[in-house]
Amino acid sequence: MQGAFDNRDTFSINSIFNVLSNFPLLTYVISFLQDFIIGVLNTGPIPKHIAIIMDGNRRYAKQNNLALKDGHTAGAEALVNVLDVCFRTGVEHVTIYAFSIENFNRSKEEVDTLFSLLRDKLKMISEHEDSYARFNKIRVRIIGNKSYIPTDILQDLESIEETTKNATSKKTLNVCFPYTTRDEIVYSIKSIINKVNNGEIESKDKIDSKIIADNFYFGPDTPPLDILIRTSGHTRLSDFLLWQSNYNSTIEFVDTLWPEFKFFAMTSILLKWSYYRTLQLEALSIMGAKNEDDLDIKINLLKQLPKHPPYASVNSRQVRLG
Amino acid sequence: MTSSKLSDHVRSEAKVNTSLKDITSEINSLSVDSSRSNGPEKPPNSIRNSSLVDVVKLTLTDLFNFAKLKAHQQTSSLLELIQFYIYHFILLFVFVLITIYKSIQTSYRKFFIKFYTLTYYHNKSPQLIRDDVNKLSKIPKVLSCILDLKDKDDEMGGIDGLINQISELSAWTISAGIPYLQIYEYNGKLLGNKQYLSKLNHSISKNLSEYFGSSILPNYSIKIPHQNFIIYGPNNNSNSEIDLTISLISRVDGKPTIVELTKTMSELAISNELSIRDISIELVDEELIELVGPEPDLLIYFGPNLDLQDFPPWHIRLTEIYWEPDNYDVNYSILIRALQKYSNCTVNVGK
Repeated sequence: MQGAFDNRDTFSINSIFNVLSNFPLLTYVISFLQDFIIGVLNTGPIPKHIAIIMDGNRRYAKQNNLALKDGHTAGAEALVNVLDVCFRTGVEHVTIYAFSIENFNRSKEEVDTLFSLLRDKLKMISEHEDSYARFNKIRVRIIGNKSYIPTDILQDLESIEETTKNATSKKTLNVCFPYTTRDEIVYSIKSIINKVNNGEIESKDKIDSKIIADNFYFGPDTPPLDILIRTSGHTRLSDFLLWQSNYNSTIEFVDTLWPEFKFFAMTSILLKWSYYRTLQLEALSIMGAKNEDDLDIKINLLKQLPKHPPYASVNSRQVRLG
Repeated sequence: MTSSKLSDHVRSEAKVNTSLKDITSEINSLSVDSSRSNGPEKPPNSIRNSSLVDVVKLTLTDLFNFAKLKAHQQTSSLLELIQFYIYHFILLFVFVLITIYKSIQTSYRKFFIKFYTLTYYHNKSPQLIRDDVNKLSKIPKVLSCILDLKDKDDEMGGIDGLINQISELSAWTISAGIPYLQIYEYNGKLLGNKQYLSKLNHSISKNLSEYFGSSILPNYSIKIPHQNFIIYGPNNNSNSEIDLTISLISRVDGKPTIVELTKTMSELAISNELSIRDISIELVDEELIELVGPEPDLLIYFGPNLDLQDFPPWHIRLTEIYWEPDNYDVNYSILIRALQKYSNCTVNVGK
């Protein structure tokens, strides 16, 4: 009965697909099928910004009797696949919650594992001219309170940011490390006050919610968030993108554990979003607006009606009706 | 004497103004609902109309949308154009399939919601509600509910419907033993008007007397943090404890309040009363709890698709979120199912 209510689970095609992908001959067919699905998705509306809370690595390790470290490694592999789907479909920004400031509550051993894993993976995708990020011209940004990062890791991360900075495409991978929204809001408030003091913002009356959002770690050139995905079934946001996700964005809570979150799970979310966005755009265009920003423009429906038939009235004279 | 003079005479005999007087502003200030003539404003994400006919119509119009064709033509060859069209046709076909699937799913879910509504019924008895709740291992202390202000013509629609829903919710939460109920409504239509508030107060005490009998009503207070108002229930005396605090918030308590806080802080910083170094998460948290209220433990959205509708972002940090897909009503069964889910979840910050 629980299942009947859950729209948080992904399609069961997902599991069939996983079984099929074990046959070696089928891999060619599958990659063709994937290209086809992405091609189809490409013709509809595509989200610009997707954020992911990658939850469930540890539970996955426990379920499969793996070491904690292997669980995180499996998670990192799943991430590369999902990133590939997103960027091939045409998503511009992908934001991942790599590490929360609250994660420092974990054991030192695990924190160190996570740090070095993240550094190694980011290095791997950006080290050489033909590694994933540089080959696909993806910009990698580290978002968050950098004062928490140990200096040796910070140096590596900054060099990764530097090498991918001049990517020619709009594709960006935002790695939130270590990040919480509350920290970000406080950071924004502080930098705004600094700017008011310096005279960069003329007066305090100029401050509005857009200025606060522009002063986040993300910076002003980030498109608004369209989809927030959280895997492994928790229905909580855990201090991630609270400001960005609470207006006009879709929040998806998926029951799959992160390492099992694969191609079909991702594309079904993209398809669902595309479906609802098409309906929404259609409803808005009936209301006379091309997108939600134009909703303020009101069209005068009376003036647009065709002209009425001539009057035949018992008032023979011109009578003042007004 | 001309005809107009005659009509003036008739009017002055009847003690009516002889010249046409503009009373638009007077009327508008009197009628409460004038600002709502366009219906309640809805957040854009809630527009999700999906009847099959609509989608098929949309599909066809979209397929023959030649503006799109033209935009595409400039950038690609004929072969790519044909490919684009085939792919797009497949996408639209899938959309039609999704619509059929969704409509089956919706009726299936509606059946189950009906089933649960029949299974869990409170019978207006606090004892039954408390028994239901006592089966759970833990309950939230602060419960927050997002309610939709529906169209006046709908079932439980308009301000009256909203007031009804709030009074039912407050009776259930008092019976369940939850001391703090936060009601979020996007437009905040209820908050700006004292007439509505007095109506709400009456409605809540009337509803509570149906649950608890009219002799001793539970003690409650209604808070409006944005205007810093508080209204006490009918049998409040200063030494009795408040059983339930109902707090009414709207979108102005979200991002705009953080903006206001930033303005105030920058003013204090300019006059050197506040150093930037002193601004911390704890300070902002303290101020926002004072201005808006505590962080809810459980957030229930009584709508068909999860949409946070600009809910105060600072306050949903670790909040458990619950909603029932395809549900449009405020039901006791939804509340109980949300509480059941809450009792089964564990919060471990950062772990």
